[in-house]
Amino acid sequence: MTHSLHREGSIDSLERDFVVFIYPARGFNYKGNQPKVRHLVEIIYQNEPVNMIATALRENLYSEVSHEEVLDTIENGDETTRVYSCFKSRDNIKQLLTEFKEADEGISIMVSGLVDRVRDMAAEVGLSPHTINLSLGIQGNTKRLPPADIRQFTTMCGHGVVSPHLVRDHIRKVKTGRTSSWDASVALAKPCACGIYNPYRSKEMLDDLTPVYTVSRW
Amino acid sequence: MLIREELCVGCGKCQPYCPTAAIHFAGLVSVVDQDICYECGTCLRVGICPVDALAEHPMVYEYPRALRKFFSDPSATHKATGIQGRGTEESKTNDVTGRVKPDEAGIAIEVGRPTLGMGLHDIQKISQALARAGINEIEECNPIHSMIADPATGTLKEELLDERVLSAIIEISVPKERVPVVLQTIKEVSKEVDSVFMLDVFSTLGPNLEIQPDILQMITDAGFTWRPNAKINMGLGRAWE
Repeated sequence: MTHSLHREGSIDSLERDFVVFIYPARGFNYKGNQPKVRHLVEIIYQNEPVNMIATALRENLYSEVSHEEVLDTIENGDETTRVYSCFKSRDNIKQLLTEFKEADEGISIMVSGLVDRVRDMAAEVGLSPHTINLSLGIQGNTKRLPPADIRQFTTMCGHGVVSPHLVRDHIRKVKTGRTSSWDASVALAKPCACGIYNPYRSKEMLDDLTPVYTVSRW
Repeated sequence: MLIREELCVGCGKCQPYCPTAAIHFAGLVSVVDQDICYECGTCLRVGICPVDALAEHPMVYEYPRALRKFFSDPSATHKATGIQGRGTEESKTNDVTGRVKPDEAGIAIEVGRPTLGMGLHDIQKISQALARAGINEIEECNPIHSMIADPATGTLKEELLDERVLSAIIEISVPKERVPVVLQTIKEVSKEVDSVFMLDVFSTLGPNLEIQPDILQMITDAGFTWRPNAKINMGLGRAWE
């Protein structure tokens, strides 16, 4: 699955949206990876993630689950755990990559974000990225898609389980004062089973969109 | 999914959570359109129903309907009958596996994304077009590979064609010189599919995150452009098994 690759939105907005994966390779470095993955997640927690899920637990950063429970589940679980996380700051990502390099745990790390920014950070940290996955965009019967301003929310969940109808529903709730743009963003993050929906970016976009939207029904 | 009528209080809270708008009112209660539902389980997973009226469809683990859940629920861990895994690790572990080498390119066609979902007949249109163009390098570890009844024609197993899923990914690895024919074939078949698909190309990098110029030229020549954001393997992995 290539679910962090196609995030839509303005360049300005994407400047504050980075996704990081910790990804052991089946048949290559699965055996005994649990303490290494745990160590990398400890580093993530120290660098202000805005969302995160370990596949062993599938509970995002805004659930009731404590960091210790997540870490213990990783360490005591099987070797298949992958970790997906999201950040809003270039400085946090740079520090994260610096600490990942020093930790040298040997697990594959993926960063999704603006190519120019990742290039700069890699050079500053002294990393040599190995492979790039480029998005050539959406093809096919594109007239069936919801509009681009709704897709910039829904594509933050790469599996596509943040519904465009739910986005419209929350725009309406924010507009009518039934919820705040932050609470709406945390609610929109909930269906995303991989924990890479960025609620900070979502809040910014809701604040921008809500005044100009008229929504009669989702 | 289904909604137990005897429990549903008709609040409608579950309806906007459905990515494919399969839940609607029927009289005073909500119901799930079983043809449209692709069994992603989102409505159940978010715990929105105040009276626990949502439940799994009784056939959700029976082949071929199980394919819907298998391809659509990101947290599904079971395997549908006869189908291997959900996808591959593709570029994410390429620094360790060396799956795509410097003189190769990986191409992924993510059918049904973003969010629309699709009937598996869309997959067949693409797999048949690839077969007609002589492109037979669909990843063996990808579940699509085991859904194909006849690799020579790209025809899928007949019993699958009425099924509907959130997304499925056709993954291909080819020598770089074959990238143009693959992209041209995809461009042509894109006019025939009912749904949408996201298209990816991945390759190894040069120093300072330099994208291979010939790959970029092939993408341009095929009439595509690439987005400014991408997914990048940072080169920190190594093998020890």
